[in-house]
Amino acid sequence: MPELRTEEFIVNMGPHHPSTHGVCRLVLTMDGEKIIKIEPVIGYLHRAIEKICENRTYQQCIPILDRFEYVTAMSCNYVFSLAAERLGQVEVPQRAEYLRVIMLELNRIASHLIFYGVTAMDIGAYTPFLYGLRERELIMDLFEMTCGQRLTYNYIRIGGVSRDIPPEFVPKCREALKIISERMSDYEGLLNENPIWLVRTKGIAILPAELAVAYGVSGPVLRASGVQYDLRRNDPYSIYERFDFDIPVRYHGDCYDRYLLRLDEIRQSMRIVSQALDSLPEGEIKNKKVKANFKPPAGEVYARIENTRGELGVYLISDGSAKPLRVKTRGGSYNQLQVLPHYGTNMLIADLVANFATLDIIMPEVDR
Amino acid sequence: MGLIKKVPIYAENIPGGALVLTTLETVLHQAQAKSLWYLLFGTACCAIELMCTGASRYDFDRLGMIFRPTPRQADLIIAAGTITKKMAPRLRRLYDQMAEPRYVIAMGGCTIKGGPFYYDSYAVEKGIDHIIPVDIYIPGCPPRPESLLEGCLQLQNKIKKQRLLDWQEK
Amino acid sequence: MTKQELAAYVTEKFGDKLRPLESGRYDPLFEVQAGDLVDVAQALKEDENLRFDFLCNLGGVDTKERFEIVYNVASITKNLRLDFKVILPYEQAEVDSVQKVWPGANWYERELWELYGIHVRNHGNLTRFLLPDEWDQGYPMRKNWDAPDFVRLPEID
Repeated sequence: MPELRTEEFIVNMGPHHPSTHGVCRLVLTMDGEKIIKIEPVIGYLHRAIEKICENRTYQQCIPILDRFEYVTAMSCNYVFSLAAERLGQVEVPQRAEYLRVIMLELNRIASHLIFYGVTAMDIGAYTPFLYGLRERELIMDLFEMTCGQRLTYNYIRIGGVSRDIPPEFVPKCREALKIISERMSDYEGLLNENPIWLVRTKGIAILPAELAVAYGVSGPVLRASGVQYDLRRNDPYSIYERFDFDIPVRYHGDCYDRYLLRLDEIRQSMRIVSQALDSLPEGEIKNKKVKANFKPPAGEVYARIENTRGELGVYLISDGSAKPLRVKTRGGSYNQLQVLPHYGTNMLIADLVANFATLDIIMPEVDR
Repeated sequence: MGLIKKVPIYAENIPGGALVLTTLETVLHQAQAKSLWYLLFGTACCAIELMCTGASRYDFDRLGMIFRPTPRQADLIIAAGTITKKMAPRLRRLYDQMAEPRYVIAMGGCTIKGGPFYYDSYAVEKGIDHIIPVDIYIPGCPPRPESLLEGCLQLQNKIKKQRLLDWQEK
Repeated sequence: MTKQELAAYVTEKFGDKLRPLESGRYDPLFEVQAGDLVDVAQALKEDENLRFDFLCNLGGVDTKERFEIVYNVASITKNLRLDFKVILPYEQAEVDSVQKVWPGANWYERELWELYGIHVRNHGNLTRFLLPDEWDQGYPMRKNWDAPDFVRLPEID
């Protein structure tokens, strides 16, 4: 009998693939069903956001950066405003700070609900997608009544926020939080002890903490590997130190922990929002000294915040003119995609889908 | 069974009796317009709104629109999001893989003329209509789900009005 | 350690290699000579009071006269933040790779090479990844870069 000849072969996953959350291409070297090597090919959504920002005034940069990370566009608005405020030494009124925290945390919940739905859909469950996006619409309604947009808000501006919340916002927001917290048990009931879900995620694609730190992985993925590092605590910005909340940590670093951790984070964000609603002060919402032709003095600053996908940073350099000299953005997904080839091998191709989905990568953050 | 037995009775009430006259064209295009299967092709922000339109509140399914992950089963490609110069050949290839008759909806400013990335960007394709032919343009950045639904209804109207000969000549 | 203490500690310990810069507005900012870069990075990571083990960000800057490369590093264990930059001449800009210290620098350095044309020594994988494969129009993030279909935003007063 002749010897059975086997050979490696290449599978091209993407750039148009329903489970890659955008236009990422993974070139996989396969041995049967097992992955030998992963080579991410990116750049299919490289839109030159950094180049565009160099030819915009500071206020004009904010709507461009909305498109940098559209699932949590509030964070992008905020991180740029934070950098510009640090450069220009701008004071922010108290009410604006509270509104910012409310919006950031609501956006975090909305993003995690998308994660919940989309991840489940990638792994093969369609119902969670309908559930997650149903509750997300409640939050979209809140954003819409505040700033008129559903996705790209341009709401948080340098020195404050663009407009005040309408009077019906607070009761609507409390109602939305109540509904979401009631339905959290539905979400968990659908997946947490579902045997198929457990087989697909538990113990799959373990990311060791040392590897994660070495490659700059941050956010929920890092915390699911057992490193308690959250910039809301470790590098406090805005008024987060006034609120009582926990930083959830899980220790296995597998797909299941990454999923559970995000559900935990929804609960903590809801705690922050309800505390902020209780103590929302009256007053100004924008620093009146910040004009449309805002010009900070020359200098450079790196601002970073805890986004849904890890550390979101902006390195902003001003040369004293009306336009920034350089806006270097940093998104968590960039590093999470970078670390994927180093631990994602030696597993089945079906597990790669679960692994990729629970990293919660979105491509504009990678490609910019 | 009861209903089927009663059909002739109902049909007799229609002027002209049980005989309903129509053209093959109308029947074909009605059927085609009411079952547009779209390709899951989302690149950027608009993809999230496309997802929302397919999900609970807006519910694409009631227009007979079901998403398909592969171009070979799709009638419609909704280009949702920015198309960069690197992505443009891939979009063309996906379009070529679809079977005739095929339709294109350009969703959002980026696909129409580059949108917010028209100026100062070296990487963005300024409009997809010089890569593939576009049937419906939906402006917005991103368009609301209602706009997308309206765009799809307009596409259905367009399909209903077309002639069989039109796409024979293509 | 507060930001002032950190700046003082770093100046005292690495004063000959890290020169403080005035332009940093929030976190301490230093300048490093291109030749010392890898040594300084290694020392910052291994110093027992600093432990800068986390590379937040790495980016190139074109100031029209020279290139700058900014390294933003953080320490997870000691909870510190520090920036330092390398200044390079416009012609023949070359820098050493810091992948040995922070492996996550790999893609950031590829980006430097691709978008700014700064050569990174000992990188090992300087290939195109953000721009299309057939790109032949030079280094687009440079300030003096131009192309036929590149439209600048008109100035509006």
